[in-house]
Amino acid sequence: MISIEIDGRKVLAREGATLIDAARDAGISIPHFCYHKKLSVAANCRMCLVEVEKMPKLVPACATRVADGMKVFLHSELVLGAQKAILEFLLINHPLDCPVCDQGGECRLQDLSMRCGGTRSRTREAKRVVSPKDIGPLVSMREMSRCIHCTRCVRFCREIAGLAELGMIGRGGDSEIAGFAGRGVDSELSGNLIDVCPVGALTSKPFRFRARAWELSRRPSISPHDSFGANVALDVKDDRVVRVVPRENEEINECWLSDRDRFSYEGLNSPDRLKKPLIRIDGALREVEWNSALDYAAHAIKSLVETHGADALASLASPNSTLEELYLLQKLTHALGSGNVDFRPRRRDFSTDGHRSGIPWLGMRIAEVDELDAALVVGSFLRKDHPLFALRLRRLAKRGGRVSVLSLADDDARIDFHARLAARPSELPAALEAIFRAFARIVGETPPETRALSDATAPYPETDAIRAIAESFVGAKKSAIFLGAAAEHSPNAGRIHAIAGAFARVSGARLGFIGDAANGVGGYVAGALPTGLNAFEMFARPRKVYLLHGVEPELDCHNPAQAVFALRHTELVVVITPFAGEAIPEYADVVLPAAPFSETSGSFVNTEGRVQTFEGACRPLGSSRPAWKIFCALGRLLGLPGFDYASSATVRDEILAPHTLEGREGVGGIGGIGWVEGLDNALDEAFTPLEAKTPAAGALERVSDVPIHFSDAIVRRASALRETKDAAPPEARMHPKTLEDLKISDGERVRVRQAPGKATLTARIDATLPEACVRVAAAHPLTAALGDMFGTLEVERA
Amino acid sequence: MASVKDVFKSLTLGELVSGLTVTARALFAPKTTVLYPEEKTPRSPRFRGMHALRRHPDGTERCVGCKLCEAACPAAAITIEIAPNERGERKTTRYEIDMNKCIFCGFCVEACPVDAIVETRFHEYCVESRAGLVWTKDRLLDNGARREEEIARDLARDMKYR
Repeated sequence: MISIEIDGRKVLAREGATLIDAARDAGISIPHFCYHKKLSVAANCRMCLVEVEKMPKLVPACATRVADGMKVFLHSELVLGAQKAILEFLLINHPLDCPVCDQGGECRLQDLSMRCGGTRSRTREAKRVVSPKDIGPLVSMREMSRCIHCTRCVRFCREIAGLAELGMIGRGGDSEIAGFAGRGVDSELSGNLIDVCPVGALTSKPFRFRARAWELSRRPSISPHDSFGANVALDVKDDRVVRVVPRENEEINECWLSDRDRFSYEGLNSPDRLKKPLIRIDGALREVEWNSALDYAAHAIKSLVETHGADALASLASPNSTLEELYLLQKLTHALGSGNVDFRPRRRDFSTDGHRSGIPWLGMRIAEVDELDAALVVGSFLRKDHPLFALRLRRLAKRGGRVSVLSLADDDARIDFHARLAARPSELPAALEAIFRAFARIVGETPPETRALSDATAPYPETDAIRAIAESFVGAKKSAIFLGAAAEHSPNAGRIHAIAGAFARVSGARLGFIGDAANGVGGYVAGALPTGLNAFEMFARPRKVYLLHGVEPELDCHNPAQAVFALRHTELVVVITPFAGEAIPEYADVVLPAAPFSETSGSFVNTEGRVQTFEGACRPLGSSRPAWKIFCALGRLLGLPGFDYASSATVRDEILAPHTLEGREGVGGIGGIGWVEGLDNALDEAFTPLEAKTPAAGALERVSDVPIHFSDAIVRRASALRETKDAAPPEARMHPKTLEDLKISDGERVRVRQAPGKATLTARIDATLPEACVRVAAAHPLTAALGDMFGTLEVERA
Repeated sequence: MASVKDVFKSLTLGELVSGLTVTARALFAPKTTVLYPEEKTPRSPRFRGMHALRRHPDGTERCVGCKLCEAACPAAAITIEIAPNERGERKTTRYEIDMNKCIFCGFCVEACPVDAIVETRFHEYCVESRAGLVWTKDRLLDNGARREEEIARDLARDMKYR
């Protein structure tokens, strides 16, 4: 630490820090535009000029390092004059259209003009006009005349999003920001451009002209879409969420948000929202009052359970439900005597159930990812499944960390990978094992014989990529193996887990699950785990009564066709959901409108085991109610004991050990942030993976991803996200050689058959896939008729 | 002595006469009141009467939906909803002033960056219910259209003081 003096005040600063950082740490703000703490220094706006003793000229605070004994003046006549002059310069071309600008009221240029600028314009010349650009459905570049050329957006794209999709063209007064060759920004982090832009040049398209900054009440919340639990603030107007912005949390999302977290709020206001309970009367769903709906549901459940036995009841919840909801659902199901309850609808392989030493989690804190030397991600469509995790890995790779990926498709993750490899789904365990064996050979150890490393699967050839990945772990002080969503959904999930665990033990790496949902860890904490049938079996062996919470089985299940078939041919389906899905009239008998995360209180446990409690930001729409209240009411009507909770907090306190939340007050006004206990990714000795199914020679294997903007019920209804490239209808993507073997050309319509259904899609060349694979996205209405997310399928010309 | 004088005065109706003299003087003096509503007093160009929304000469609305009037209103009488119009411009879909709340302070007029909301000289409105005192956008635009000439003239006269 060194000591400097700012305006006569003694301030301690880190050695090597810039003046602007040192001042900020001391609580002094220096006006600036182009400086951003997460981006490189450009020093092009000149707004942060300050006077330093013994320096002949003013210096930019963002590009000047502190030195011991430095005397800095922020309010000298020279500095104030410079600030005034800079603002006058910027306003020569910046239009004075604040009344129609969406940034008005929260604009840095507006604020600084009021704080340091002059009061009169001396400019009589015409202002520069910049043509509008179109960079996609999320970020508006209509009013580029407002741009002040700070280049924050350019630096964001290059440094954070991983690809320089924006650049500055032209020189001097003609310079302007543009996408390359008129292309838009196709990034899952593009929404951050809106936050990064200090003026109103880049604004939100869905929020365009909806409200003013001063009309909104900002309420803290937690994003319910991915396993990170990004901290968000919901901007509420008239009891509707009209905008979502990030809440800074260095340990999770820093100051960024993925587009899914940011723009999914449109789903909350979708016309699909249910306002009243529905009951099937004479074959059609009709609106009824709450008491009739609850009475009906309770009586029907009770009588069916009495007639067919408790095992006839199965409950399935979305892994994006809150901790409290999952707990109450399993409590209700277990109290009725059934053990058929689960919250992992997209999983296929449940062989690790009962063999885990603890709750599967990331294996480390999220912030620790930055400290790794080597990391291997197995089975993940990294950038689309986990945008914020990919962001951290991207930075890690940039700083010299060796990041490798073993996945099902060689997607462009915009990460500078050390090595990358795409394997067929059936070969994924073998490929991982090959990495393990290569590593063991290099370090001269024999891999321990575990039952997971069976000879049943053919050994994977040791390619350069395999060796490179193995080598990246040699000598790494801190390393990790992360299993992604595809690895968890795979029918080989148990085997992959076991091999990765063995590799981690031998190499000293940590094993972690990135997780596929907001409450992937919370479901285990809540005990929403089957003692009877799991999420797959409950549809494979149809039950008489289904209790569904927040899931849309036609899109969310591993085998949607099988799930919908079971639901259609059963006696009673009770659905607790905020949305009236298209398929609901097909199978639901009672629909109880629940409030989504923005309208209820609850907690999410993210993949690092962090409990984050949040409150509802607005009143539930219509007569929808928080799901925890619905479960309590159902429990009481069913005559079950222990459903008299006064609030969701009392439910939470029953689940979590009392000391979990003690002593840690929440960030940003949210109470109760703590860590859950019992996190452990190890498997016990007795674990045997399911027998590996090797597909017949020449069979085509399905590779399915969950498209980022179809991952859950809320996102699917967000209209702006539906217009992005990521929401394009699924195609049957194949390796050029596979396509050639099938004698199908690129762009042709093909019929994809996978028992029990078929889908007609467009064939597309995709050299990033392994051969003999067909990539068909799951979670989309077009492919909902198909079977398992992974398995074999047939393709023929339509 | 004084009391004798008083008695004399009252007996000769002197007090009555002096009182009636005042009445008679007032009766024939020039009048300062007007016969409202047949006659009206002149009003200042800054008179703060009924609000109006103005249009541009080409017929498009002046209001850009910046919501500054709504924010400036101390009585929270103004309600605005905005959305992009068919040309993608920022326009109001709803603009209401609740006259039950309005205190005619004129802050909305001062806040308006485009001279869209103005207060006219017109003040002779009456309604039969409180609901009728919520002025909708249509009514405000209509008032503006009726008095545009006068509004423009008043604004021009006031311009040098703004």
